[in-house]
Amino acid sequence: METAVSVVVDATLITLILALAAFGLAIIYGLVGVINMGHGAFLTLGAYLTWAATTAGVPFVPAVLLAALGVGLVGLALEHLIIRHFYDRPFDTLLLTWAFFLVMTEIIKIVFGTDFRNVASPLAGAIDLGTVKIPIYRATIALVSLALIGGTAFVFYRTTLGIKIRALIQNREVASLLGLDIALMYKLVFGVGACAAGLAGGLISPMLSVDPYIGNVFLVRSFFVVIVGGVGQLLGGTLIGSFFIGGSETLFALFSKQVFAQTVVFLLAIIVLRFRPAGLLRAR
Amino acid sequence: MTELLRTEGLAKRFAGLVANEDIDFRLEAGTIRCVIGPNGAGKTTFISMISGHLSPTEGRIFYKGRDVTPLSVVKRARVGIARKFQTPTVFDNLTAYQNVELAVLGTSCPSHKRRQRIFEVLDLIRLSELWDMPVQFLSHGQRQWLEVGLLIGVEAELLLLDEPTAGMTAEETGSTAKLVQRLARDYRLSVIIIEHDINFIRDLRAPVTVLHLGRVLREGSFDEVAADEQVREVYLGQDAG
Amino acid sequence: MTVDADKRFPAAGRITWRDIGASETGVAVVVLAIFALLPMVVSGYPIYILPQYMLFGMMAMSLGLMWGFVGILSFGQAGFFALGAYTMGLAMHTNWGINPAYVGLLLSLVVGGTLAAVVGYFLFSAGVRATYFVLVTLALSIMVEQVAVSQSEITGGWNGMFIDRMSLTFGPLGDVPLFDDAPAYYAVLPVVALSYVLLRWLVSARFGKILAGIRENEDRMTALGYNISVHKTRAFALSGAIACFAGALYGTHANFVAPSLGGVLFSTEVVVWVAIGGRHSLLGALLGGILVASLSNYLSTVTPEYWQLVLGLIFIAVIVFFKGGVAGAVAQLPRLWRTGRQP
Ligand SMILES: Nc1ncnc2c1ncn2[C@@H]1O[C@H](COP(=O)(O)OP(=O)(O)OP(=O)(O)O)[C@@H](O)[C@H]1O
Ligand SMILES: [Mg+2]
Repeated sequence: METAVSVVVDATLITLILALAAFGLAIIYGLVGVINMGHGAFLTLGAYLTWAATTAGVPFVPAVLLAALGVGLVGLALEHLIIRHFYDRPFDTLLLTWAFFLVMTEIIKIVFGTDFRNVASPLAGAIDLGTVKIPIYRATIALVSLALIGGTAFVFYRTTLGIKIRALIQNREVASLLGLDIALMYKLVFGVGACAAGLAGGLISPMLSVDPYIGNVFLVRSFFVVIVGGVGQLLGGTLIGSFFIGGSETLFALFSKQVFAQTVVFLLAIIVLRFRPAGLLRAR
Repeated sequence: MTELLRTEGLAKRFAGLVANEDIDFRLEAGTIRCVIGPNGAGKTTFISMISGHLSPTEGRIFYKGRDVTPLSVVKRARVGIARKFQTPTVFDNLTAYQNVELAVLGTSCPSHKRRQRIFEVLDLIRLSELWDMPVQFLSHGQRQWLEVGLLIGVEAELLLLDEPTAGMTAEETGSTAKLVQRLARDYRLSVIIIEHDINFIRDLRAPVTVLHLGRVLREGSFDEVAADEQVREVYLGQDAG
Repeated sequence: MTVDADKRFPAAGRITWRDIGASETGVAVVVLAIFALLPMVVSGYPIYILPQYMLFGMMAMSLGLMWGFVGILSFGQAGFFALGAYTMGLAMHTNWGINPAYVGLLLSLVVGGTLAAVVGYFLFSAGVRATYFVLVTLALSIMVEQVAVSQSEITGGWNGMFIDRMSLTFGPLGDVPLFDDAPAYYAVLPVVALSYVLLRWLVSARFGKILAGIRENEDRMTALGYNISVHKTRAFALSGAIACFAGALYGTHANFVAPSLGGVLFSTEVVVWVAIGGRHSLLGALLGGILVASLSNYLSTVTPEYWQLVLGLIFIAVIVFFKGGVAGAVAQLPRLWRTGRQP
């Protein structure tokens, strides 16, 4: 019983944190079709900027917002300088975003060094449920993740801008007939995706020690989240994908080492990708 | 005459849209058949089911008396069914020679005879002199011919040609008709050919099957079909404006 | 009926499949000759370390085969490489009456080839798109790393695994230990050269032409009756076997393997080598591996951060401006020269 409760709690927390980490990727990959291999670098940068800002004395929440803004701007620059010329060549964007990852990682190393950095958790302590303890910070982040995804849902389904963007995704020609500036929309979406990744990196930073490769931990998992959930299924897809990856990871971790559990989860995700390339819920 | 291809009650529906319905079709070995019909009549759908690119919702396809309905595209190509797509599908970055070579490599042609064989095909499709040209630089008509050449090179026995004369000059269209006739006469190949060009169909002097709304409307010689009131209404009427 | 094609078009079929390929033969001979003679002029560290870079180059060729000739990018070659090294390390402890190093080499071929064949067929038979293949192979190299970390009883975990240098045994003819640098050098060089020759032969043979056809137009190949998933699987199995074999040799040469050898960073470094060297040229891939890796090694002692940064920028420049990498650019020089001379 105790393990059951703790598994449920753990799985829920991991699912939501993973969803947060993957969300920026889901936006960029799902909406503008760029296989963003630089996602990990966005996360890392977000974490470092948060560390830098908090070290400089900025309180945690504004620090994270600043970091998100900073990463968003970097994303915009990347889009403007390089990616926008390659939208019709998805494979090249894959390589270019990977190159961005390599370059960004080196810049981070040069600017911040390679030592582990720690961001103090703004909310210490845990909620004691008798059988399990839930760290308050993690619980908060899970709620933030839910709010973020819910908020984006609202933007996409209830605001004119969101509806325009969805029109764009569904049909570029129709969108241009509607007089939408496609180039600007792509830029906006890319920037928002980068911003979301930066935010996630900042929010996750107190949970781990920050190093230049921190984003890598999340890169492949984020991709599997997006693919298993279904590319373009921003909300439900991200949650389902995260639940699949995070949930099974928690479950397997009961029987084996954490690292090995991840291996098994990757294997499962590859099998899903093979048989359901359009996501768990949709046939191809 | 021996039967090469037969379909029984062939039907294809796309989520409610009837693209093909109840098609009983028969083709003798070594003959040509024209399939015509207005846009969206289901012509491409029909040959896609024969080539294996689409699987029928209902019905069976028999090739040389054997039920090939469950066979994949690859397996059907191996039993001798080969297809030219509506938009030319060739190896753009390779030369004409390399294109045909890839077709010939799929046959049992021994390596010392390969060059000879490739040039035989290139001669037939009049691309010998351009053997070294990357085919992206060929004219649209030449690319169409090249694709037909690939089907010859791979030694297909049933050629499915989807609008081979689209984008051709009148002269090219005329020689295409001669090429197709020659394939049937000299090489004993069978051809199903989808066309819109009335002159081409007349030149071909082959039996015609008219599809309309996914069904066979009429079958017969060109003159019979052209004289048919219904056909004139749905097809010629529309095309002639 | 037809006039003899040989008389009319003597060049056809002899030169049509030679793109960058055949023109590199001369360069390859010179390069291999230089490598063969090098130990006579140089000694010490370069002769110790070069075989390892040559094995990196061999791994780069295994990627070049997939990327340049089949059009499928793998982000997991280092996973196979590390797998080979671990296989060698484990095999070195066998006592089956034959030279354990031979067991390791043979096993590495089998293990790498089988794993690649299984993964390849599993994905290719479903027509998984090229971008997903990149992700899966990326995951594969992470998995190799993770398994190496988590199965520490067998692999030594984070601490890595020590592997002895191998000896060559020629039955009654006696043994040649490869503990010294020069013999080890001359054992590795022929293997790398041979794998280059084998791959060059293969890509110009029927198999290579079919791979080129697949790279150019899958739909057309399918409609011509080629089972493309089988051919892709064969190519990937070969690529995996070569990378794994190179890894086995690397393991015994370096005396050591750690999980990071199979990791994401190293896997994608291979991609950078091949991109810079030239993905459509096996020699380009080989030299890209050898030169970029040695340059990285040298410069990372001089200016560690900035070199990686520069490398990343070069990678971007290659993707944006020189698709063919250095080999592609070099191959275009004569053509530019010729057209430049025309009035
Ligand atoms: N994959 C598909 N999914 C849904 N509908 C399809 C699909 N392919 C064809 N259709 C529909 O089936 C009908 C028949 O199409 P088909 O391409 O066979 O016509 P066609 O006779 O070849 O026309 P055309 O002369 O324009 O080439 C059309 O209404 C078309 O829109
Ligand atoms: Mg059609």
